[in-house]
Amino acid sequence: MFNNGDNKRHKVIAISPNGPTGNGDEVEARFLAPHFESDGFPWLQIFGYVGSLLLTIAALLAVVDHILPAFGLLVVILVLAVGQAALQLGIFMHLRESRGSTWHIVTLGLGIVIAIGLVGMSMWIMTFKSGVS
Amino acid sequence: MNLPVEPDSTAKLPLEFTDNHESLKILGFWSFLATDLLLFASLFAVYAVYQSRVGMAGPSPDQLFKLGPAVVETLLLLTSSFTCGLAVYQMRRNHKRGTIIWLAVTLLLGVGFVTTEVREFVSYIAMGDSWHHSAFLSAFFTLVGTHGAHVTFGILWAITLIIQLMGRGLTTVTTRKMYMFALYWHFLDIIWVFIFTVVYLNGKI
Repeated sequence: MFNNGDNKRHKVIAISPNGPTGNGDEVEARFLAPHFESDGFPWLQIFGYVGSLLLTIAALLAVVDHILPAFGLLVVILVLAVGQAALQLGIFMHLRESRGSTWHIVTLGLGIVIAIGLVGMSMWIMTFKSGVS
Repeated sequence: MNLPVEPDSTAKLPLEFTDNHESLKILGFWSFLATDLLLFASLFAVYAVYQSRVGMAGPSPDQLFKLGPAVVETLLLLTSSFTCGLAVYQMRRNHKRGTIIWLAVTLLLGVGFVTTEVREFVSYIAMGDSWHHSAFLSAFFTLVGTHGAHVTFGILWAITLIIQLMGRGLTTVTTRKMYMFALYWHFLDIIWVFIFTVVYLNGKI
């Protein structure tokens, strides 16, 4: 069964074979299975902090030293920012912790798609010169 | 899909997830964060469109920004995010004192962040570059100011949280509140990283 052998990666709070338990413990899909971290020493947190500092310094140095032409530089620092966001979400925000399925990841994913669309479409539409000013 | 049942599964859960209702509130808070993300996305869109609209005599982003304060603010907020992570870590180990101490450190770093930001804003306004000077400045103050207002609210929230933790200890309710505060605080750190990248660093490219 799913839980055997896979125990180290997933501590699954599973549904009863007879249907929902009514306690919010249902896991509808494997990729939504929750996962809890527990460590004797906050290694993950330290890793997250050092990682975010390194990414910040890398972005700062890249801009101060102008290592690339403007557009390439913008892409690089945006990628570094996304890396930092992933660190915060994965380590500090315990993204995969939940009672039952991790439905908040789906909500958040939808939010991110709309956010990128909102910013991207706004910039795109403004690249058209209307000729009216 | 039927996964096998673990009868004692709730016993292994962190305290804030042991109560069914409290864990629903955490899910609800994630939904709030998704809507807050859209608020900031709108302000980022406005900034991206208006950042080159500097008016007749207004400064460009390159002329206005000094990286010094922005770097200090970034370091303060990154460190506060780390200490907030340690507060949740201590909470998970059922250490009330450790939780409160790290939360207090987080709070002080947050105060340092807001203070630096206010001083930065005041220095711009003292040079005559306030929000009504150009579309760029309006967009800048609205985006960064909204984030600063969020952090200020977070500071007030942390104060009430410390009082509750001292009075009631670590219960299902107070740990859930602490967990939600941590989500909020780290979320603001993510928003700040993008402000630092898109506003300050991009302004210097």
